[in-house]
Amino acid sequence: MRTADVVTQLRPRLSLRGRLYLFSGAILILFAINVAVSLWGSFARNESSLAYQEAVTAAQLTAELEQNLQNKRQQVLVLATLRETTDDPLEDSQLGQAGADLDIIAERLRQLGSYGGADLEAHYRRLHDSTTTLIAQWRQFYTGYNQAGPAPPVEDARTYNNAQQRLQELDQRQSFIAVQRATAIDRTITLTDQITVVGFISSIAITLALVFAMIRSTNASLTRMKRGVERFGSGDLTYRIDQQRDAGEIGDLARTFNEMSTKLQAAIEEMNTARADADSANAAKSMFLANVSHELRTPLNAIIGYSEMLQDELSDETEVNREQFHHDLATIILSGRQLLTLINDILDLSKIETGKMQVSFEVFSPAALLVQVCDALSPLLTQNKNSLVLNIDKDNMRDMNSDRGKLQQIVTNLFSNACKFTREGEITVSAFMDQQELTVTVADTGIGMTPTQQERVFEAFTQAEADTGLKYGGTGLGLAIVREFCKMLGGGIEVESKPNEGALFRVRIPVDPT
Amino acid sequence: MMTEQKCRILLVEDNEVNRNMLIRRLERAGHSVITAADGEAALKVMREEHPAVVLMDMNLPVKDGWTACREAKSDPALSHIPIIALTAHAMEEDKVRALAAGCADFATKPVDFPALLNVIAAALNAHS
Repeated sequence: MRTADVVTQLRPRLSLRGRLYLFSGAILILFAINVAVSLWGSFARNESSLAYQEAVTAAQLTAELEQNLQNKRQQVLVLATLRETTDDPLEDSQLGQAGADLDIIAERLRQLGSYGGADLEAHYRRLHDSTTTLIAQWRQFYTGYNQAGPAPPVEDARTYNNAQQRLQELDQRQSFIAVQRATAIDRTITLTDQITVVGFISSIAITLALVFAMIRSTNASLTRMKRGVERFGSGDLTYRIDQQRDAGEIGDLARTFNEMSTKLQAAIEEMNTARADADSANAAKSMFLANVSHELRTPLNAIIGYSEMLQDELSDETEVNREQFHHDLATIILSGRQLLTLINDILDLSKIETGKMQVSFEVFSPAALLVQVCDALSPLLTQNKNSLVLNIDKDNMRDMNSDRGKLQQIVTNLFSNACKFTREGEITVSAFMDQQELTVTVADTGIGMTPTQQERVFEAFTQAEADTGLKYGGTGLGLAIVREFCKMLGGGIEVESKPNEGALFRVRIPVDPT
Repeated sequence: MMTEQKCRILLVEDNEVNRNMLIRRLERAGHSVITAADGEAALKVMREEHPAVVLMDMNLPVKDGWTACREAKSDPALSHIPIIALTAHAMEEDKVRALAAGCADFATKPVDFPALLNVIAAALNAHS
């Protein structure tokens, strides 16, 4: 497993700032270790250099001391021979010089004591004792030289030999210890050099690994972000960034982006719904306009056609059939009225939609109104060879307070619908009244409607089927207007129907609006 | 050269007022007119009477004009008779739809009668 993977897995939730701190800290620690090892190495070199100087100084001192001892012994032996042969005393200056020489020897001996430390302690002590003894004997020799009597003893040969031997031992010991220390220091220097090299190389390796892990983990986070933005931007509105995999700033960014995505998604979906609604409303209006155009053209065809035809016939020199002429004019007038009704329907619905339709209450006789409407519409019955049954419960009919014009239009629309969708059948108009309301039913034996069609039949711009307008004419406005008028008068309308078994529309209107 | 042929025309129209009006005007123009009130009847009359040209309303009960037109065009005995669509559906897509059903030409309501006579003559000439 690579270092980068380990770091990514160990610290999957570390923030970007945390990662940078960790990274910087690790590099600082590595740097400090390298510096420490390097300092240790230079200290060891320094030690080595000191030890070498010390060994050289000690060796010089030892050599000088040996030389001094030999010189002094030669002098003492010569003086001892002179004492035997002559009686010349030594001058004070000679004695003083000899004392100073011995002081120098004692001083060298003392200096030698400060080198070597504990390792040389025993050797030095023996050297010190024997040499001090030798010096003391030599001092006695000088002191006793000018005195009368036998010549003072020069020295004990053993003492000198002893001192010489001790000096050689110390010298050997010094050499041995110097070699030992040099070896130890060399080992240390080699070790620190190795540690420095290994530390430096491993520092570079670890730093590279950390940099790689840092780049990799940050890059992975940013790649997830980028992929999310790209996916969402290209229209995948449900895509969300896996925010669990990042902590800190990038996690926050992912979470914020996801929240924004959710809001945008909602807004876009809302907008799409609104647009779909608007499209569907537009489509309905276009369909409605096409139907209106069709419906306007049908009566206009009769009006223009008959008028042109009559004009042609009049311009001929032939005798005009007055009865035929009268009938043709009636057709033109009827078509013109149909056209007017259609235009009024469109205007009514427009008024209802914009809330400008007024209701004007008055007291009138509903029974008289119904009879009048049925009389006026009787020509419609003949078109499809239908018959009318008028069934008014006159005993219980009273005057009512409502909008006469609206009630008239309600019944007219229901009646003409019944005629339109029924062929060679029966139209039944019934009415009865109780304390509260007038109930009018218009029933036919026509094509009827399925339950689905019944649900939509009162919607504006809608007919039972898309092609109902084509088959039976009408703009799909009549029943929409009827329902709105019923609501305005404080009542309602309902329908009962089965396909091919006719339809029954029941209208209830309050007798008094209060 | 287009000529004013007099011929036998089948008028298919369910609206009685408009049907009567067109019968009278076509007859005054010298044509003889037979009628049908729906698409099914129209096909039957075409087979029995062999009219020279058919004026067909498209919104018809029983079988609509588009269906009747397609059936006539796929019937070898009837396919040679030119059918002129005569409809209150005056949008451009309505014309396309009528021509796609096999109509030879397309006239809208309200009828421009002199233009309709020209369309009939053109259909007869194209056929002959």
